[in-house]
Amino acid sequence: MTFYQKATALPSTSMNRVLIFVVLALISGIGLSFGIHSMLVGHDHTFGTTREVPWGILISPYVFFACLSTGLCIVSSLGQVFGISTFRPIVPRTVFLALITMATGLMCITLELENPWRVGFYALLSPHQFSNIWWKTTIYSLYLIFMVLNFMSLTLKMEKRAKVFAIIAFVAVTMGNLNMNSDMELLGARGFWSENYMPLYFLSLSTLTGCAAILLFSWIGKIFSGQIPETKDDTALKATGKLFIVLLLAILYFTGVKIMGGFFPQFSKNPEAMSLLVQGDFALNFWIGEVGLAVLFPLALIVVTKGENSNILALAGASCLIGVFVLFYDLVIVGQLIPHYSQYNVVDLPKYYSYSPSLHEIMITTGAIFFFLAAFILGEMLFKKIYDS
Amino acid sequence: MKGINLENLNDEGVESLPSKERRQFLQFCLSISGVFLGGSILSLTSANNAQGALHSGKVPVVEFPYSPHYTMVIRQNHCIDCERCLEACRSTNNVPAHGYRTNILERSIPIAQGQRERAFMPILCNHCNHPPCVRVCPTQATYKDKTNGIVQMNPDKCIGCKTCMAACPYNARYFKEEDRTIDKCNFCFDTKLKESGGKITACAAACPADVRIFGDLTDPESDAYKLIHAPGNVLWVLRPETDTLPNVFYMDT
Repeated sequence: MTFYQKATALPSTSMNRVLIFVVLALISGIGLSFGIHSMLVGHDHTFGTTREVPWGILISPYVFFACLSTGLCIVSSLGQVFGISTFRPIVPRTVFLALITMATGLMCITLELENPWRVGFYALLSPHQFSNIWWKTTIYSLYLIFMVLNFMSLTLKMEKRAKVFAIIAFVAVTMGNLNMNSDMELLGARGFWSENYMPLYFLSLSTLTGCAAILLFSWIGKIFSGQIPETKDDTALKATGKLFIVLLLAILYFTGVKIMGGFFPQFSKNPEAMSLLVQGDFALNFWIGEVGLAVLFPLALIVVTKGENSNILALAGASCLIGVFVLFYDLVIVGQLIPHYSQYNVVDLPKYYSYSPSLHEIMITTGAIFFFLAAFILGEMLFKKIYDS
Repeated sequence: MKGINLENLNDEGVESLPSKERRQFLQFCLSISGVFLGGSILSLTSANNAQGALHSGKVPVVEFPYSPHYTMVIRQNHCIDCERCLEACRSTNNVPAHGYRTNILERSIPIAQGQRERAFMPILCNHCNHPPCVRVCPTQATYKDKTNGIVQMNPDKCIGCKTCMAACPYNARYFKEEDRTIDKCNFCFDTKLKESGGKITACAAACPADVRIFGDLTDPESDAYKLIHAPGNVLWVLRPETDTLPNVFYMDT
C-alpha cells in the first residue's frame, strides 16, 4: 500500500507516467543495443554459448514470453470465445498483454539468431514442412497478426469480428504451444525433455503464467491509474485467482513427477538431466525457483488470504512469474549439459558441460523484459478507456 | 548372460557340429549385428528374414536409398592418435582453429577388474539416414543429399538458430563465424571427394594406419563394403539408442 500511496500522491500523474515509460524504454534500448552489437560482431565473441551448449539464456525469455502469451490468450478466450461473462471485463487488457508478450518473445528469438535477416527470405522460399521450428515461428507470427486484429476490433467496438479473430488466434496459439513442446522433444537425442507429460505440462504452465500475469498487471494498471485496488468486488480477478489456484495444484503435481524423476531414474526418460536439476548443480534453481517461487509461495499466500486480497494475489502472481522464468531457464539449459559421449569412457570428458550467460546475453534478456514493461505502460496510457469499458 | 552359467555347461566341442548348423549360427549372428547396426545395413546381411521377429517394426530398410551410398568404416584399434586426419581435414576444408569437422576421442575402456584399455575413437558426422539435424532445420539449410546420402549444408540458407547443433547426437557441427553458417563434415564432397572421383576423403587419405576406410555401400569392390560384409567382423555404430541410422561404422580388427 505504501507504494500505492506514494504513487498516487505524486503531483503530476500524467508526467510521471510518461517519465516511467521513458525510463523503461531507455533501459530496454540499452539492453537491446547489446543484441545489435552481438549481431554485428558475431555471437562467438559475445555469447556464453559453445559448440556443446549452443542454446543459451535467450531461448528462455522466448519460451517464457511465448508461453505467457499462450496463457493470456487462453484466459482472454474464456471471456471472448467461450462467453464466460465473469472474464469479460479483463479481456481488452489481457488481449493487449498477449500481443506484447508474443512480440517480446519473437524479438528475443530474433536476437538469438546469428542471421535473422535470412528468416524472411528462406522461411518463405525454402520452408521445411517437417520442422517444428518453422511451424512454430509461422504460427506464432500469424497469431500475432490475428491478436493485433483482435485488439483493433475491440478498440473499434466490433465485437463479432473480434471474436472471429480471437477464435483463430486461440487455435493458432494452442498449436504453437504444442509445437514448442515438440521442438524440445525432438532434441531427445541429447537427453532433452521428452517425458510423456510434457505437452500437458507446457499448456498448464502457459495458462498458469497467463493467470499470474493478469493478477499482477491488472493490479499494477490500477495503481498506475490512481485507482484503489478493489479487494472484494472485482469478480473477474477473483475468478482468475481461482483458476490460478487450480493450475498451481496441477503444476505442483507435475513438479512432484519431476522430483520423482530426479531421485529415482526409473521414473524419467532422461535421468541424468533430471538428477542434475533436482539434486545437482541446478538444485538451488529447482527448489527455490521452480518449487518455492513458482508454486508453494503463491499457493501459501492465496490459502492464507483465501484469495480475497488483490494485493496478495498480485504478489503471488509476481512470485509465480519469476519462478516460472527460472523453470524455463532450467528447461532449456539442463538438457544440454549431458555430454554427447558420456557412455564411452572418454578421457577428460567432464561429467557435465557448463554454461554461464555472458554480459551481452543478460543485457539482451533485461532489454526484452523492459521492452515488455514499457509496452505495458504505453498500453496503460493509450488504452485505459478501452480497458475500463 | 552370467559367467557362472557358462561354467556349468559341458563343452561339446565344435567337431561334431554340422557345417549347416554353423552357417545358420553365423547367419543368425549377422542378423543380430545387422539389426544393431541401425537398420540401413539390413539388406547386406541375412537379416531380411529376421526383420519381422527382431526389428519390432522399427524402420525396416530393405534396399539402399542412395547410389552411391557413401559410408565410412572406422577401425578403432588401428588409430594411434597421430591426428594427421585432423590436419588434412583442416587444410582441405578450410576449417578454422576454433572448430573441427572431425576429432579423435581418447577412451579408457574397462576390460577387467582394475584394468583398462586405451583406445582412440575418431568421430565425425555420421551422415545418418534419419538425421535429427535435417529434421529440425526450418529453412532446409541442412539436407540429406538425395543422390549420395551425404548430410549437406547450404550456407546461404542458414539462419543461425543452432537447433541442428542442439539436435545432433554426435557433436558433429559447429558455427563457423567467418562464414556465418554451420559447418560440418560432408565427406569432402566439394574438395577431396570431387578431386578423387568419389573415391576417398582427405582424412582417409591422410591416415597412415588405414583407420578410416571410406567407400560405397552399393559397390562390392569398395573396401568399406568388403569390411562390412566380411563374415565374423563385428561392427557397431555410436549412440544406437537415438535411432538415427548412422552410416559411419566402427570395428576392431
